[in-house]
Amino acid sequence: MIAALPRLGLGLGLRSVHFDEILAERPAIDWFEAISENFMDSGGRPRAVIREVAEHYPIVLHGVSLSIGSADPLNLDYLARLKALAAEVEPAWISDHLCWTGVLGLNSHDLLPVPLTEESLAHVGGRVRRVQDFLDRPLILENPSSYVRFAQSTMDEPEFLGRLAGETGCGLLLDVNNVFVTCFNAGADPAAYLDAFPCESVVQIHLAGHQHRGTHIIDTHDRPVRPEVWELFRLAWARTGGASTLLEWDGDIPSFADCRAELLKAKDHMTGPAEPAPASVTPESSGAEGISNPVGFLVPRAMDSIEMEEA
Amino acid sequence: MTGDAAPLESVQRWMQDALVFPRRVDRADADRLLAPSPRLSAADGLAIYQRGFLLRIAGCMREQFPGLCHALGAPLFDDFVADYVRDLPPESHTLYDLGRRFAGWLDESRPDRDMAPAQRETWIDFMVDLAGFERLVFNIFDAPGHEGRKFADAATPDANLRLQPGFALGSWRYPVPAYYHSVRRGQAAPLPPAGETFAALVRTDYVTRTIPLTEPHYFFLKAMAEGGTVDNAVEAAARHLAVAPDEIRQTWCAPQGPRARWIEWRFFIEEEPAGKG
Repeated sequence: MIAALPRLGLGLGLRSVHFDEILAERPAIDWFEAISENFMDSGGRPRAVIREVAEHYPIVLHGVSLSIGSADPLNLDYLARLKALAAEVEPAWISDHLCWTGVLGLNSHDLLPVPLTEESLAHVGGRVRRVQDFLDRPLILENPSSYVRFAQSTMDEPEFLGRLAGETGCGLLLDVNNVFVTCFNAGADPAAYLDAFPCESVVQIHLAGHQHRGTHIIDTHDRPVRPEVWELFRLAWARTGGASTLLEWDGDIPSFADCRAELLKAKDHMTGPAEPAPASVTPESSGAEGISNPVGFLVPRAMDSIEMEEA
Repeated sequence: MTGDAAPLESVQRWMQDALVFPRRVDRADADRLLAPSPRLSAADGLAIYQRGFLLRIAGCMREQFPGLCHALGAPLFDDFVADYVRDLPPESHTLYDLGRRFAGWLDESRPDRDMAPAQRETWIDFMVDLAGFERLVFNIFDAPGHEGRKFADAATPDANLRLQPGFALGSWRYPVPAYYHSVRRGQAAPLPPAGETFAALVRTDYVTRTIPLTEPHYFFLKAMAEGGTVDNAVEAAARHLAVAPDEIRQTWCAPQGPRARWIEWRFFIEEEPAGKG
């Protein structure tokens, strides 16, 4: 199933600050990734925008609240809304994260890590199969950025994802920035992570920037891609045979042209020899700690679209 | 809780509690359940999630309540949000839902709640009203509307006039719509004196307009918002003002009366009355 999915080229996250420019100028970009939750409940402008964008560009739906790893029951209302949106915009695929967002009916709005155990693998595998049956398409799951590891974990993330993909037929979204963030925080080697990753199941690659705090790294998506991450991309691009690649920029979002220029740097890393890795990775930020997996961009500029008439 | 093969559900309940109620975390539990890395201890790693939870929610709430954030100042607003999410943690998959219970929570948790109304702090009334107004604005932004379809016009018979779906009404103890718009224009906005205020919010072409209303107009439109026809609304307004319905009807149809203005502002769509067709 996932082998039949298209190679879309280089895409950007669809963000509300760029809506007007995209609709007015239809800039040259291969495809857009839309955050599912930003559009699935919308009866207003976001829904109209995604419908129009989907008429002119390939679209992928990328979710943050499926909570595939949660111990709670699957949210069937959520899935029904997602399926209805998919029927409208006909995405090339639907993706989410290997994570959970809440239990007991609550939602932390964060992408929380799953203990990597046999119990979790069986649990998540069963849920992936049910979601795929419901949506009638393969689900694509992303490796999250993480700041803790569970003591009870019995396998590493590449093994977990490889077995999950093998058992369910789901595809994988390889976020090379998340690889770097997770490995740095865990004191692990990102190249070894990539060596172990089941690249044959990768449908898509994510790129993003992060905030280096010296002791740890926060996955902030608010700045250009770091050289170390570009090097991981070079490896991932070659090993996945050129998987569809997307740049996420979710905080302090610059102009569309600047986002596009950052994305197009990927072309410089698709061929050629490996660049020497930096001797040491230095902190680049001395300001306040950023937010991991920022979601502020999910709240559209609702409060800007209001005027007042005279009585 | 032991760290050895703790069931998934209990691990997740523990971690979620640690995010929502960080002061309850037992450091020993964190050390048992989470493995330290060469760079981050278990507590350090957990603290990143704990800080992120509040920063993320507060950031989204500031977007949804810019007027209230201005009135309180960001630090105090964030303190209110931290208490709010501890009392009422987010339940929905969508961040749009974050502020749904905020105005009600502010009202319920006010320290002078059990005092006589005349003895209560008036600034709290203002905050509650402003939060309610901002929630209304946020809701209408993404509610189903009538864009791309025909609105009623001057020729539409009264019997066929219905409020369009992108429409909402509000009444407040303070002029919170004017305060909100002052803040959005970047003007210095002192807390206004109390004054009963009525307004309609109507969305056309994905832009929402705030339209100040008189009290009779508010009750007229409220009758329509509850599913009534123009005739029902005329009767409701007549009852409210204790005048004859014909007097209301004359005002309604006057050349510059509410009918003409509200049709121009696209309050109405045309619907065949039930039972016809």
